[in-house]
Amino acid sequence: MSISRIFSLCAAALVAGLALTLAVSSGTVLSLLTQATIYAIFASGVGLLLRQNGMASFGHATFFGASGYVIGILLQLKAVPAEAAIALAILGITGFAFLLGLVIVRVPGIAFGMLTLAVGQMFFLTANRSRGLTGGADGMNVEWPATLLGFSISEIVQPAHMFGLCWAVLVLCLGAVALLLRGRFGAITEAVRDNEERARFIGIRTLLPRAALFALSAGITSVAGTLTALNTGFVSPESLHWSVSGVALMMVIVGGYKALWGPALGAIVYFLAKDILGDYASHWMAIFGVALITVIVFSPTGLAGALGRLVRGKKAKGRPRAATTARTASTTQAPAMQAGSSAQVSKAAQAVH
Amino acid sequence: MSEFVLQADDVAIHYGGVKAVDGVSLTLTRGQIRGLIGPNGAGKSTVIDAITGRVRLTRGSVRLGGQDVSALGATQRRMRGLSRSFQRTSIFGQMPVRRQVELASHKMGVADSGADADAVLKELDLLPLADAIAEDLGYGEQRRLDLALALVGRPSVLLLDEPMAGLSVQESHDLARHLKALTARWDVSVLLVEHDMDVVFGISDVVTVFELGRVIASGEPAAVRADPRVREAYLGSAA
Repeated sequence: MSISRIFSLCAAALVAGLALTLAVSSGTVLSLLTQATIYAIFASGVGLLLRQNGMASFGHATFFGASGYVIGILLQLKAVPAEAAIALAILGITGFAFLLGLVIVRVPGIAFGMLTLAVGQMFFLTANRSRGLTGGADGMNVEWPATLLGFSISEIVQPAHMFGLCWAVLVLCLGAVALLLRGRFGAITEAVRDNEERARFIGIRTLLPRAALFALSAGITSVAGTLTALNTGFVSPESLHWSVSGVALMMVIVGGYKALWGPALGAIVYFLAKDILGDYASHWMAIFGVALITVIVFSPTGLAGALGRLVRGKKAKGRPRAATTARTASTTQAPAMQAGSSAQVSKAAQAVH
Repeated sequence: MSEFVLQADDVAIHYGGVKAVDGVSLTLTRGQIRGLIGPNGAGKSTVIDAITGRVRLTRGSVRLGGQDVSALGATQRRMRGLSRSFQRTSIFGQMPVRRQVELASHKMGVADSGADADAVLKELDLLPLADAIAEDLGYGEQRRLDLALALVGRPSVLLLDEPMAGLSVQESHDLARHLKALTARWDVSVLLVEHDMDVVFGISDVVTVFELGRVIASGEPAAVRADPRVREAYLGSAA
């Protein structure tokens, strides 16, 4: 994807978010959208690790919940200003994840998942038991000051503003990641994911990129945790529980992790479907489980993959293999094909709306 | 500067009591193609692993351009111009062709890695497939991509572990012709492990025959083909 395309997609997404903020007047709906957007950021972090590193984490709730705790504790101790607390939480968790990553990304496959689970549960139990510092099982309030970056907190937490903020953060995170992965770092992590031994033979040191990716994924997740702390003003051990990591992973699978925006789509679908089902939602996990199985069986690349196929459907007809497409496409055809596909995108977008 | 681009001296690889390779010496001069043949389990791939640093030497030494590289790791040897392909196609399945070849070139320290990648892709007829995802390629194309990854950064020595495996007769003859032309033009020396006897005897300058981890014959193709020990040990049924 070209740089200009990334920028224009981000701009379009920001405008769409703004339009949604202005169009929706119901506070309840906005709160729901805010929560969905925060989880979209969370799932994007988890999905990034799976997409770019081939690793499924069952412990990302650690980074989600921990950012709330770090900010909460720093504000309670009145150690630093709130802005610094946010920066410390995100950077600290990213740094911690990098060090942790240096150790655990060496472990392959399911064992890696189990290690992330173990580390996550360790933090869950610690937060649960240390009543003095974290309020134990009751959780703790995050005592935000009256203003943040010059804006009054009561203004920021207004449903419309909160949603706008979260949406902008989501779009900026995805845009920044897309730009980053376009370059050398993206190529290196893809090579390591696809074939670690060959990567070593072409001169790539494979540990550092994987640890860096783990840290980046944790950093994005901690951003989501920070927004939750801002949104609710409260943090509890539940946010560290492995089931929260599990839900995020399910969003990633349902949305599809091959596309960067897939996990975010999964999160939004998750919350909207849950809300639409209303009273039936007491059986929500059973319903979502069935949806999960359906997606895995019929579209292993998730909803994003299915949408992508829908968009490319016409183009691929008569050309069964990408290789054939590449071989037959001359330079003069290429712009025409791109124009065609963007027209299809907008058509598909209309169909979705 | 040594006359030999590559010099493996008395190389031995022992796994416990198993002597996979036991005192093998090989040389490559500039631009030379040396065929390496022998029955399955003779230790051909192990020699390649030993020379490239994938396994540790039990005994002996490997010199590249006169310098002892025995203590260096696989990556460092690659940086110094010692490259290899793999018996099982080893590519980056989900990456576009050009992206992975360009990355390999960049990692080899080539300043203009884009131009280098394009030159290698062009050489191997892969340029029209530059934007295709590797796993969508046909098998023969994937074998050539594997070779492309080994050729970036213009290595001085190329160790090819059965590059023709799984190719049709036509494809392997095309690839052989390609290799011969390429080594001459780029001045790269090749150690070729291959089961296709026509190919080996057709393009090699010299041929070495292995049996049970030892060299039993070495020399010009015609002389090796005529060697009674070789006929008995290996070519017996085929000749």
